[in-house]
Amino acid sequence: MTPTHFSVSSAFILGLMGLAFHRTHLLSALLCLEGMMLSLFIALSLWSLQLDAAGYSSSPMLMLAFSACEASAGLALLVATARTHGTDRLQSLNLLQC
Amino acid sequence: MNPLVLSLLILSLGLGTTLTFASSHWLLAWMGLEINTLAIIPLMAQHHHPRAVEATTKYFLTQATAAALILFASMTNAWITGQWGIQQMDQTIPTTMLTIALMLKLGLAPAHFWLPEVLQGLDLTTGLIMSTWQKLAPLALLVQIPNLNSNLLIFIGLISTMVGGWGGLNQTQLRKVMAYSSIAHLGWMILIVSFNSKLTLLALSMYILMTTSMFLTLKINNSLDMNTLATSWAKTPILTALTPLILLSLGGLPPLSGFMPKWLILQELTKQELPLTATIAALSALLSLYFYLRLSYAMALTTSPNTTINTAPWRLKTNQNSIPLSTSIALTAMLLPMTPTILAI
Repeated sequence: MTPTHFSVSSAFILGLMGLAFHRTHLLSALLCLEGMMLSLFIALSLWSLQLDAAGYSSSPMLMLAFSACEASAGLALLVATARTHGTDRLQSLNLLQC
Repeated sequence: MNPLVLSLLILSLGLGTTLTFASSHWLLAWMGLEINTLAIIPLMAQHHHPRAVEATTKYFLTQATAAALILFASMTNAWITGQWGIQQMDQTIPTTMLTIALMLKLGLAPAHFWLPEVLQGLDLTTGLIMSTWQKLAPLALLVQIPNLNSNLLIFIGLISTMVGGWGGLNQTQLRKVMAYSSIAHLGWMILIVSFNSKLTLLALSMYILMTTSMFLTLKINNSLDMNTLATSWAKTPILTALTPLILLSLGGLPPLSGFMPKWLILQELTKQELPLTATIAALSALLSLYFYLRLSYAMALTTSPNTTINTAPWRLKTNQNSIPLSTSIALTAMLLPMTPTILAI
């Protein structure tokens, strides 16, 4: 595994752990999601250098467009949660329990 | 909702699934999955009710995580092998990561914890779309991957059927019952995907048919929990007589069409020298059958001690279109003799 591959993979896995273990705020989960997407963006950008092929140069931009849409949807849901539940703390998201 | 916005969202849902179906590059498949997630989020949160918003937030977080994991698995495969083809993904680590990501996306055990709560927060139409349409794209990806780890998939499948059975036993809310039924049926689909992927697609189509019938029945009766279901016999007597057929078809009893996927899956598992797996799967289907039977008892076989407000309510003509419901009930009850024809596809 090349050092580049290792650093990108470890960045993604750190973000994934942060998303999986988020304890207090919804915003921290969204931040970790953004961190994961950022590591994937860097990996895709380095991918075309890895291949010495110029054809893949646009794929990071496409990926960034989609992850930006996803981030904005997440933030809109954060605002909606703050409106309905009063806070973004995860303890208050308990209306749907069995 | 504004009809223009509604048509835009529904067309985007169609676009996302079609894009994933038609793609041979992992990036495009990921984009289709993202479009699906983004399109259903406003549909889920349209009522601005606290429960709907909470369900939407939980759905968004799980689906976004799963999509990022899918992209990471395909990226890892690309770094190792140098290409992005969906059907050329044969490294074990990316394939395992991908299986786990698709498990989270579909709501298979042990990653199923979000599904009952999310389905509970939705209204019945959006719940129907989430249970049926949103399962198509991830399963289309799963059947295309070449060497799946069959041990992992059998483990996931058996755990899902058991969790779907045991989890649904203690529920009174019908949407949670349908969520656990979805987990169990997806478990059956996953059991067989590494051996005969045609049977996975057959099981998926039968599941979509039966779930559509059930959700449309609940929508006509406007019943969200078992007490309401128990007093809905007065509204639509014919539907009350037909609902046990839908429920027993969901339970997988012959001569209804729900028996077809279970029978063929058990046969294929036995052919693959896995009789213990087949036995455990068949026994766990009994658990789901128990709560389907409980629902049909409550609705049609016993009269509820609660009385309806009037002695016999007016059976007013509803505005809902009943043609989809009648077609899907006919198909869920009577498709079993067509098994050879369906197998030949």
